[in-house]
Amino acid sequence: MKFLWKIGGEAGFGIMTTGLSFAKIATQSGYHIFDYAEYPSLIRGGHNTYDVLVSDEEVWTSQIAIDMLVCLNKDTYTLHKSRLKESSIVVYDPEMFEITDNVQKISVPLKSMIKEAKAFQIMVNTITLGASAGLLGADEEVLYGMIETQFAKKGEKVVEYNRDFAKKGYDYILEHYQAMVTPILKKRSQIETKLVMTGNEAFSYGAIVAQCRFFSGYPMTPTSNVLTQLAGWQEKSGMVVRHSEDEIAVINTALGASFAGARSAVATSGGGFALMVEAISYAGVAEIPIVIFLGQRPGPATGMPTWTEQGDLLFACHAGHGEFPKIVLAPGDVNEMIEMTAEAFDLADIYQTPVIVISDKFVCESHKSVPKMNVDLFSKSYQPNRGKLIHEVPPEKYLRYKISDDGISPRLIPGIKGSFYQANSYDHIEDSHTTEDGELRKLQVEKRGRKWDTYLKTHYKLPTIYGDITTATHVFIAYGPNKGSIKEAQKLLKEKGIETAFIHFTHVYPLDRQKVRDIFAMTKDKKCILVENNSQGQFGKLLAMEAGIEIEEKILKYDGRPIYPEEIVASIK
Amino acid sequence: MTTVQDFSGYTPTWCPGCGDWGIGVAIKGAFVKLGLDPSSLCVVFDIGCSGNMNDFLNAYAMHALHGRSLATALGVKIANPQLPVVIVGGDGGIYGEGGNHFLHACRGNHDVTVIVHDNSVYGLTTGQVAPTADKGMKSKSTPFGIIETPVNPLVLAVTQGATFVAQTFAGDVNHMIEMIKRGIEHKGFSLINILQPCVTFNKINTYQYYLPRVYKLGLEYKPEDQREAIGKAMESTVEKFPLGVLYKVERPSFTDQLPQLSGKTLVEKTYDLAFEAFEEEFI
Ligand SMILES: Cc1ncc(C[n+]2csc(CCOP(=O)(O)OP(=O)(O)O)c2C)c(N)n1
Ligand code: SF4
Repeated sequence: MKFLWKIGGEAGFGIMTTGLSFAKIATQSGYHIFDYAEYPSLIRGGHNTYDVLVSDEEVWTSQIAIDMLVCLNKDTYTLHKSRLKESSIVVYDPEMFEITDNVQKISVPLKSMIKEAKAFQIMVNTITLGASAGLLGADEEVLYGMIETQFAKKGEKVVEYNRDFAKKGYDYILEHYQAMVTPILKKRSQIETKLVMTGNEAFSYGAIVAQCRFFSGYPMTPTSNVLTQLAGWQEKSGMVVRHSEDEIAVINTALGASFAGARSAVATSGGGFALMVEAISYAGVAEIPIVIFLGQRPGPATGMPTWTEQGDLLFACHAGHGEFPKIVLAPGDVNEMIEMTAEAFDLADIYQTPVIVISDKFVCESHKSVPKMNVDLFSKSYQPNRGKLIHEVPPEKYLRYKISDDGISPRLIPGIKGSFYQANSYDHIEDSHTTEDGELRKLQVEKRGRKWDTYLKTHYKLPTIYGDITTATHVFIAYGPNKGSIKEAQKLLKEKGIETAFIHFTHVYPLDRQKVRDIFAMTKDKKCILVENNSQGQFGKLLAMEAGIEIEEKILKYDGRPIYPEEIVASIK
Repeated sequence: MTTVQDFSGYTPTWCPGCGDWGIGVAIKGAFVKLGLDPSSLCVVFDIGCSGNMNDFLNAYAMHALHGRSLATALGVKIANPQLPVVIVGGDGGIYGEGGNHFLHACRGNHDVTVIVHDNSVYGLTTGQVAPTADKGMKSKSTPFGIIETPVNPLVLAVTQGATFVAQTFAGDVNHMIEMIKRGIEHKGFSLINILQPCVTFNKINTYQYYLPRVYKLGLEYKPEDQREAIGKAMESTVEKFPLGVLYKVERPSFTDQLPQLSGKTLVEKTYDLAFEAFEEEFI
């Protein structure tokens, strides 16, 4: 079962809270969800939508077809009409507009209900939440429980007020549309506890698990919530979170904290990342660990701030002047985000170099349900690996940039008695003093370079293959956040009798040339298709550059909207 | 007890007669007087002739990016508030490229000491004007004279939240030692602006220029008065340069106001977090 519920209305009228409440009603009733919100870059006046895909199985993406549309204004209907089927349910108020199309109309007198109760316009949200829960057979207790947790902080009065309005919606449906109630949200007999998390929240949670101790940020969609989430957790976590004056300060301050010995991270989007680039290079030469979370949105420049795209992958992989090792990880979903965030902190410490976790607005801001047990299993077993960090001066002379076979040198916590050294942005000799000697420079370039090799040998992870390449006729290739839509498209194609496989990369940079080529050797007679949310096929270019693999066929989308599974299916001939 | 020798690294490469020599001696002298040793503090250097002291001074250090030394140093202090943190840079790096960081570090009253080599030029890139240069100063990048009026770092610091603002002169080692020592001892953001002749590229602001124009603040001067301090700081407009502590007040420092930092530093802390407490809100 898959059911897409969608609500739309004017920005500033609580659509986001209502959407999240609906999602949690679904998970608390025993279902899985994936949600997706669209909103313009302004606070009041534009059009907001929020959709929640409900399923009895785990879901990783949204879809085009709408099963139920809740219209808080006429725009919602006109903008989404083309995505409705005959069986789609439309909740609307005939006082706002009339519907002549052939859909399942549920008219609710929202305006007059508000007028009658002398309530603020914003309460229509709560009425429609109740109506939605009623129409989809949700347990009344789950609905009210959700309202209670949502408004608990505002006091019993507010809780009661909202409960009343939810009840108005719920009761209206039972009174007037009893026959149309479908058991989509009917409480299941066995309910496993799930967490409803966005990619941003998963990164934040991962940072907590990894014992990150310093985080600095400067708000920028789509990762602003990482800053606010971690800031809000400070009392519980003991982390210091600083809202700096600009992104240049953000990363340099984080590098200072990391040098001092505290695990440190930053989060940003393209524009802020651009400001950080010089410091990424500093981290490279001075060998300072740092985790950078990069949530992509459409550029160039300010672009389309609240929409989604994957236009910064090549920029991220090549960020920083000069040559130095860097690792780029691209989780495909919330689960992977938690685990790879923790992994990123380990890799940064082990290789003493910048690690970028790259995602996009679609994953950063969309909620996905994950079984709590899976998350706990990981967080409780995780132990930080801080690599060659040392707390005592070694008996032999301590050399910060000691030449070593694996390219990694012991990193002494500054302040330890009996030694000193510098994190030098100039090239340097083993003891960290500056040098312009050609031979000594070469030794350090090569030492740093060996970290690439060590990483590829020790920690690089090959792509995951979904489906069976040998029996597939079509093979999808993508990285990170495209995972969900492709996996869903694979299911839809299988139903149509088309066998597919999907090579999903999470460890996107650097790539192990030979091992990647070995995988692609299996795709020789298959139709390979690159899927990306940009206009240039950047991951395809990276594959060509790093592994010499060219993929001719591409599904590219760059209108600021995510790629839907149905679109992938439609382009398979 | 440490000696100046313990702090002495490579032999400096500054031009003969450069004010940086005196500053280098004074910084080491102040560290010795404070009973510090090279393992017990962190110095963050900017990029410039001034920042080149990274190789001449023994200490845990970062040779940060041009203009970013201050932003970088704040992270060191937050992670380990027990470590004295000193920033060494030029007026180009601290007031120009890093001007925004300077402003905001003052506001936060971060407990660090910033030592600025104020020579009105970019020494290391061979003598273009710095933001402290007097209006009309000619340089390679301003052949017809700089159009902008100079930044006044002392007024900026006094008005933006710094709690210790001092000025001293590269020609007076003992005075520099005293100012640096008191700056480091001060709990909060301290600025030590050092008038530093660049003998190679600045033919105007020389030792001879400064000697008749500098004067020491007397015992009667009360550094707690912000208006007085602003008045003193403004005297550069009439080519008078007060030396001494212009401004000093007590205010909790940035790290003093972070409950996370009471007790152990971020570096020492070990965590045993109950993850459930972070998961609740997602159910
Ligand atoms: C981002 C960046 N821009 C420019 C430079 C080149 N640069 C090196 S030092 C310097 C100016 C130095 O002047 P100042 O900070 O006053 O220090 P001084 O040399 O006078 O001590 C510049 C522009 C650089 N290293 N990095
Ligand atoms: S160029 Fe100027 S500031 Fe640099 S070392 Fe020479 S005299 Fe000193």
